[in-house]
Amino acid sequence: MLDGLKTFLLKAVDLSALTFLEPVVRLAWGEEPPVQMRRIGRNIVIPLIAIGAFLVAWTLISDKIQTKAGKLPGPVATYTQASKIWLTHQQEEEKKAAYDLTGPGREARLAEVETRLDDLVALDETARQGVIDAKAAAADALAQAQAPIDAKIDALKGQIKTAKATRKTELKTAAAALDAGNKDAYATFLASMQDGAQAIEADEDKLDVLKAQYKAVTDATHDPLVEAQKEATRVAEEIQHLTAMKDLLGGRNRGEKLAGLETKLEAATAAFYTAPGEKAYNAANKISMTKRSVTRTTQANYPTPYTLPYQVLRSIMCVFVGFLIGTAVAVPVGVLCGLSPTIMAAMTPFIALFKPVSPIVWLPIMLIIVTGLVGDPDNNAFIQFLWKLPFIGSYEVNPAFLASAAVVALCSLWATLANTALGVASIDQDHINVARVLKLGFWNRLFKIVLPSALPLMFAGMRISLGVGWMVLVAAELLASSEGIGKYVIDQFNNGSSESFASLIVVVFVVGIIGLLLDRIMIVFQRAVSFDGSVASI
Amino acid sequence: MSNNDSRYVEIVNLVKAYPNPLGDAIKVVDGYNLTIKKGDLVTVIGHSGCGKSTVLMMLAGLNPITSGDVVVDGRVVDGPGPDRAVVFQAPCLLPWLTSYGNVMLGVKRCYPHASKKDRDDIVKYYLNLVGLADSMHKYPREMSGGMQQRVGIARAIALKPKMLLLDEPFGRLDSLTRMDLQDTILDILDKEKITTMLITHDVDEAVYMADRICMMTNGPEARVGQVLNVPFERPRTRADVTSDDLFFDLRASLISFLEKNEKTRPGDQPAPAAQPLDQGVYEAPSLLDTHAPRGGGADLVLAGSTSGPGQGTLN
Repeated sequence: MLDGLKTFLLKAVDLSALTFLEPVVRLAWGEEPPVQMRRIGRNIVIPLIAIGAFLVAWTLISDKIQTKAGKLPGPVATYTQASKIWLTHQQEEEKKAAYDLTGPGREARLAEVETRLDDLVALDETARQGVIDAKAAAADALAQAQAPIDAKIDALKGQIKTAKATRKTELKTAAAALDAGNKDAYATFLASMQDGAQAIEADEDKLDVLKAQYKAVTDATHDPLVEAQKEATRVAEEIQHLTAMKDLLGGRNRGEKLAGLETKLEAATAAFYTAPGEKAYNAANKISMTKRSVTRTTQANYPTPYTLPYQVLRSIMCVFVGFLIGTAVAVPVGVLCGLSPTIMAAMTPFIALFKPVSPIVWLPIMLIIVTGLVGDPDNNAFIQFLWKLPFIGSYEVNPAFLASAAVVALCSLWATLANTALGVASIDQDHINVARVLKLGFWNRLFKIVLPSALPLMFAGMRISLGVGWMVLVAAELLASSEGIGKYVIDQFNNGSSESFASLIVVVFVVGIIGLLLDRIMIVFQRAVSFDGSVASI
Repeated sequence: MSNNDSRYVEIVNLVKAYPNPLGDAIKVVDGYNLTIKKGDLVTVIGHSGCGKSTVLMMLAGLNPITSGDVVVDGRVVDGPGPDRAVVFQAPCLLPWLTSYGNVMLGVKRCYPHASKKDRDDIVKYYLNLVGLADSMHKYPREMSGGMQQRVGIARAIALKPKMLLLDEPFGRLDSLTRMDLQDTILDILDKEKITTMLITHDVDEAVYMADRICMMTNGPEARVGQVLNVPFERPRTRADVTSDDLFFDLRASLISFLEKNEKTRPGDQPAPAAQPLDQGVYEAPSLLDTHAPRGGGADLVLAGSTSGPGQGTLN
């Protein structure tokens, strides 16, 4: 039983290509502990140490790099920002849920929100007071820090002034005493004048240093004040969120709105049947308008703003759409190229020509083409159809999305194409002989022999394609302004908020982790189709 | 036995030539003649590189024939087909199919109108026949070389071929597995009576398995050097055959043929291009003058061989 579990776990570890877990499983069953410990040391502990070293180095370096947009965010700042992004996302989800909530659930939630809001009012008061106090304290501290430097500066300034004046009178006296015609005396005078100037310059340099010190002290952040401000901001933000929630659970709630409209409709209907003559027209009009409002309110969803998690999901969807389009083109063409040297020869110039073209070049072209084909998304049957689909519909497929997907397809299909062609062309002669002896027809030969034998290489190509597609996508979205990670990046770059820098660093990790996961998924597929079970695990 | 059955497989003046940029085409096989009775097992023996496999591949239709004819059951061979099943030295299984799937691939092709149930029965029957009832759903990578070769044999026989072509099927197996598999094949052939050509360079195997042994001269211009009858009754048991004096006589004559041929191996000669190909140096030496008429390979037709059981002539 236990051995069965072990075999199962080992197979799972192998199939999912998480081979670094293998020694852990083996160790758990007490298999050769020294060997397993050594493998764990190499495959798990060392990477963890490396990650730790990276975090330390990152913290140290980020402290030193000061830019116009603030300090380079360190690991802590990045993590804080990531949590904040996640919190914003959850709050939006909460709001959306609140909008749709009805009945007793809504009332309970409303009561909850109101209680919390009452608590927060007190907290808000404290936080504000905290900020005021901290500001006063900061001002005091600043004054204290500035005073001695200020005094020094004043003293030095005075000193320089007097020195300059003294020097001037001295020089003037010396000049008056000069013998006309005595060249040496003139030269000495000039030299002494320059010496004196150097001494004063040295003092002026000192003054500059002091001024810089003064500026540094003035600019220095006061930690308690920053903390207090953070706390105040947090409370204010929560109040803002809860106020919105209260609104959405109350007057702006869909159910409430509908109920209101229903009462209105009833009143209007009643009024209509009692309306005398001409007024019946206005009353009837009112009824139909109210009815229209009801339909609109029923259909309309809460307008969720684009949060990073939403944009990430949209990007993933976009990359898969592009990848699938690319694969759908690359595999058949690759198979044809692999089967027929003639087709291969015909295709080679195009492959060589289009493969190096950058996504930046493809994107405008694709945007023009897609926009031309689609026209107004609101009147395009295909787009409307996509919007009505259950899952895909919530991601608002638009021309920019389609153009990004097309660019992903165009840039990523080459690896799949080349690998498929290679896989098909390099079938084992033995397998071809089997097909010949059995006199398999074209389709049987294709599906029973050629494709299965080319599958591992094909999937290796698709794995590369997906990786390329993911890299291309961010650039494409950025250019196409298609909601997604690329759009998020350019928005953060442009908005100049103090948090953008940290958000961008968060995006680095989000993109990296998703790319890694996509690669892992492809490895699993690749393993599943490779009959000899040997695929590189990295 | 009808005339058609006694000349079930006819190989007439078979030639395989490869173009030679330096001169005349090199004839690897030249004037190969052999006739096989229906249901016979002929082993072909000769030094490696003498063209045994080339002949078999031409029979299978996998290697184009330069000139001459191969007729199987009254039909001239023109390309490969499931009527001539081949088992290669490597098992050549499709690694993405289980042993069941590998056999089913051929069965589907040869029984296109059979019901699903019937096909299933056929596949299971043949896998059972080669002793793989328990490994039906294993993939090739999960099986030993011997087991893989068994699947290959099952796949070949399941095609219900007119002729079974075995190209050193035991070449890569250890001797115990090899003996095991030899008996398996003999058992199957005793039941199925398929006309078979077995290529080998193992002398014991050649004698033990065969009804006739076809000894080939060394290439280029390889041809049939000598044909021996092996008169042991079927079904055979290894112990009986290998303890018979005749077995040793046949074995000895085979070895002396091969040894004599070795002296004229192409490697020991000057390069073939420097030597006119029509010189007789590659001709089979007359080892067994009393056994069969010496002369052009064209005369050495098995069915035409008048010698009876080789016993008397060998002594």
